[in-house]
Amino acid sequence: MAEDLVLDTAIRDWVLIPLSVVMVLIGILRYFVSKLMRSSPTPDAKMVKEGQVVIRARNLKVGANFIPPRSFRTRRFYFTNEENGLLHVPKGEAPTNPQAAMFSDPNMAMDMMKKNLSMIIPQTLTFAWVNFFFSGFVAAKIPFPLTQRFRSMLQNGIDLSTVDVSYVSSRSWYFLNLFGLRGLFSLILGDENAIDDTQRMMQMGGFGFDASKSLGAEKDGLDIIQHEWALPRFEQRAESVLRKLVK
Amino acid sequence: MVTKTEETQLNQLENQVENGGGGVWEYLSLVRKLKVRRSEIVLKHGLSILNDPGKRSALGPDEWTLYEQVAIAAMDCQSLNVAQNCIKVLKKKFPDSKRVGKLEALLLEAKGMWEEAEKAYTSLLEDNPLDQVIHKRKVAMAKAQGKPSLAIEHLNKYLEVFMADHDAWRELAEIYVSLQMYKQAAFCYEELILTQPTLPLYHLAYADVLYTIGGLENLIAARKYYAATIDLTGGKSTRALLGICLCGSAIAQLSKGRNKEDKDMAAPELQSLAATALEREYKQKAPAKLNLLSSALRSLKIS
Repeated sequence: MAEDLVLDTAIRDWVLIPLSVVMVLIGILRYFVSKLMRSSPTPDAKMVKEGQVVIRARNLKVGANFIPPRSFRTRRFYFTNEENGLLHVPKGEAPTNPQAAMFSDPNMAMDMMKKNLSMIIPQTLTFAWVNFFFSGFVAAKIPFPLTQRFRSMLQNGIDLSTVDVSYVSSRSWYFLNLFGLRGLFSLILGDENAIDDTQRMMQMGGFGFDASKSLGAEKDGLDIIQHEWALPRFEQRAESVLRKLVK
Repeated sequence: MVTKTEETQLNQLENQVENGGGGVWEYLSLVRKLKVRRSEIVLKHGLSILNDPGKRSALGPDEWTLYEQVAIAAMDCQSLNVAQNCIKVLKKKFPDSKRVGKLEALLLEAKGMWEEAEKAYTSLLEDNPLDQVIHKRKVAMAKAQGKPSLAIEHLNKYLEVFMADHDAWRELAEIYVSLQMYKQAAFCYEELILTQPTLPLYHLAYADVLYTIGGLENLIAARKYYAATIDLTGGKSTRALLGICLCGSAIAQLSKGRNKEDKDMAAPELQSLAATALEREYKQKAPAKLNLLSSALRSLKIS
């Protein structure tokens, strides 16, 4: 079954390399365009405070055993108190808030739209271009064998069903580049800017700092903690340290 | 905080720059990145770059950052004319900039014109109510004018929003200690211990405050925190060693009439060990004062 097809080197020169080059260039272009279009986010005072509260509550959880029991209990009460504790979120209000706030706030909606557009349009255009010009022939051979299931995905333009699934069309090369160019971008653009499309898609999904959930999570975490004051142990450790020192 | 490698690198560059070698720009960039305060050197060498038009244009867009850095260094060294010139140049280039506004307010502060500076900061805050630097400048101004209670008020308001800023907690703790409001200072130090539980500095400061407040429970706690400091510094902290001896004798004094609880004596030899370690250290580092120390320790044990 494994007939070895010999692929023309012209395919490599005129299909694979130009496609990669084009995708890299589009990625770079997108980076610069996003830099231009980025509007400086006006931080909301409430969001900042909530962020800091979460950090402080987390610190309390981590260092709980280092402070005296009474101080810990005071702080925990301050955070988780039913009436005006910082982490306590009144039930009715919270869940709808972040989403509603996000859509009603025109700035944020615009920002999201811009981010989505800057991703969708180049992808769509490139995909259409690939399909138009580069379909109908075998572009590359994948070095490892695949099952028949992948045939519909990888061999889309090729209408022969007897060709080995390892021989794929250029569409799959496009997808490979889509997911794989992050390393290259981090070399070119510097490490922080190496966001390629997969990460962007993930960013699209989880938008917004969902404050109420994190507050609730921190509150639960704090409620659970049993305070065990670590300091008495320290006295014994200090004793042994000194003993070693004095000897 | 500056790491050790960064510190050695900084000192190396500083020596190089001071002795006439090149590398001024790297030194200035490193100072800016680490936010250390080396104003005299920055002023001297930054100014030499800025006054030389050839070197200045070689910097390109970083020229303005250098102007800002030199302006702040000049204000720190009280060369207000230099600072004024730098700010004038910056203002011509960036007329509506908030950063330049901050520099101007800083200049007013350096000149000692408190009300004008206050007004400038308030207007800057209106445009940008969440700017941490401006809030901190207001606190610094209140402190410089000798109004610690005002500084405390500003700091508390700042910390209500930005409660994870441990530098601010530290500043607040120091102000409280200077005003002898020890309970509040203890609270601040507890916050600091929560953020960085492995830093012996905070344990030591907390133990000092607890010891100063007094009372048997606090003394027992103070002793524990001194022990923690000793553990975290490997026995090298002289202050903690002395602290343990003092705590031990104070506790003994206070609990003379009562039964000694067992948990208090969790580490019974701690005090004597600390005394021995202290004597050793004094013998090594300050042998002339050893007699003083020995007599002090003896009087502690007796009482």
